[in-house]
Amino acid sequence: MGFLTDPWEWWVGPFNDNGFMRDALVAGLLTVVTTSLVGTWVVLRGISFLGDALAHGVLPGIAIAFIIGVDTSIGAFVAAAAMIGGITLIRRHSPLPDDTSIGVLFVGFLALAVVIMSTQRASYTGDLNRFLFGSITGLDSDDIKRQAIAAAIALIGVIVLYRALLVMTFDESLAKMLGLRPGLTQGALLALLSVSIVASFESVGNLLVFAFLIAPPAAASLVVKRVPMIMAVSIAFGSAATIVGILVSYHHRSAAGASMALCSVILFFIVLFATMAHKRVAVYRSALA
Amino acid sequence: MKRPPHFLRPITAFTLTAVALAACGSDEAATTSQDQIPKVVATTSIWGDITANVACDGLAEVETIIPLGGDPHSFEASLRDRETMEGAVLIVANGLSLEESLADTLDAVEAGGVVVINAADGIDTIPIGASGIENDSHDDDHDDDHSGDDPHVWLDPTRVIATLPTIANALAETGIDEGALEVCVADYTDKLQALDEEIETILATVDETDRLLVTNHDSLGYFADRYDFTVVGSVIPSPSTLAETNPAELEELAELIESTQVGAIFAETQHSSSDAQALAARVGDIEVITLRTATLDASGTAGETYVGWLLENARLIAEGLQ
Repeated sequence: MGFLTDPWEWWVGPFNDNGFMRDALVAGLLTVVTTSLVGTWVVLRGISFLGDALAHGVLPGIAIAFIIGVDTSIGAFVAAAAMIGGITLIRRHSPLPDDTSIGVLFVGFLALAVVIMSTQRASYTGDLNRFLFGSITGLDSDDIKRQAIAAAIALIGVIVLYRALLVMTFDESLAKMLGLRPGLTQGALLALLSVSIVASFESVGNLLVFAFLIAPPAAASLVVKRVPMIMAVSIAFGSAATIVGILVSYHHRSAAGASMALCSVILFFIVLFATMAHKRVAVYRSALA
Repeated sequence: MKRPPHFLRPITAFTLTAVALAACGSDEAATTSQDQIPKVVATTSIWGDITANVACDGLAEVETIIPLGGDPHSFEASLRDRETMEGAVLIVANGLSLEESLADTLDAVEAGGVVVINAADGIDTIPIGASGIENDSHDDDHDDDHSGDDPHVWLDPTRVIATLPTIANALAETGIDEGALEVCVADYTDKLQALDEEIETILATVDETDRLLVTNHDSLGYFADRYDFTVVGSVIPSPSTLAETNPAELEELAELIESTQVGAIFAETQHSSSDAQALAARVGDIEVITLRTATLDASGTAGETYVGWLLENARLIAEGLQ
């Protein structure tokens, strides 16, 4: 119960004393900015499953890049593009619903990554765990730079696409009439999504970045309605989850990336229950009146 | 183009603050005064015990990162573990890519000024699966960079003896008296030589023709190399935790087990033994024996020290193959 009995030492002390704690915090907060800006649109447009699939779909690209000795980020982007291309292909040439085409490629790409890795028998170096879970305990300045660049790209992208995304999300036919080219806008959003996933595989990891893409924007959308407010509240929620997650990992020796992701999901449920309670009180009050 | 929505201003400010946070804040280096006992961190409990012995259980304070029973390949560090590493003057790792999930963290700590040594560096290593029957199927392109070498060197006490000077030199660099360390190394070398002989005695009960090992993953290569065993095959013929076995290879292994009359299949505490059990069921009339290959046993048991632990494993192997 150190966070109540000795709040300064529990909440501030670790950041004050350790450079690596500040690095973890900064990388975490930059991830939160990126994922909140992009994740808000992912949640509002209902493409969470595609986001999840992309987070896993980059793995074969990373695996191949690792084996042939290319920068893993490039491999990840190529795999993301291939996956989006494959999903679009299925969508255009079959009557199947979107979640089916995403599901087929999701499992295909994940299996491909495992098959590729299983051929690497004489070496450990190709293990995928580090990309799935990241290593916020071992950040270097390049990792933080990469996170900062991703946050900047997300910020610029969201500003440029703001109107097109807004119209497209709430009225696709109006978007077409206004000449906003929904296909292009969707493509740009997916590109931003890929950037946020690839940028964070060194810090929180591909598996866990998904928690930050969905949970904080989803929680924010429960309490505020305007898109800019959802983004701002999502950043606040995500930051809180990051700070608590980092501190829990520090004080209780739990795996760092997973602690942060878990905190952001728990926060979502706290917000959900709070809004449920709030509604009940409102109903009760109106019944009394 | 439309003016950027004003709501983005606070978000931009937030981002810039986060970046600024990274730039500020000074980091006090880990200070070590001469009269304090130096803090040393080992990645696994096995290297922790060996390092403590090189420091005669008291010349250095040795702490272990990967908990007992943890899998060194996939262990995920906490931020407290990072602090423990930062607080050390020396980190003893195994190397040869054993601690793959800790690699980034070890690199970052090393960049921060902590000395990190790989105990397995500079000793005679063998490629993964090299003591097996089918070793011509891979490792053909083995070169001198040792990146594809089997990291489980601690299964051979004579190779551990070869690592002692490396550890002792690193400890001497932290300010521990070299003369004292020499005595410790000599004592521990004697103990490990006695251990080696005792294992030979234990294994003498196993006939030459029965000296065949089937394991869960490639981990007993050095043991086989030292005590004249042959690794017939492993259930998961890859060190990667994402690798899986395939039916054709399992069937091939089952046939090999039948034709060579192997006495037991050895599973490991840190991995699921379900594939090994399935293999045993397929072959019939063969035991699955669980070894501890990666970490020491709980304190208070015979296997809490490296010496006791390796003896225990040797006994299990001898019993299984008699």
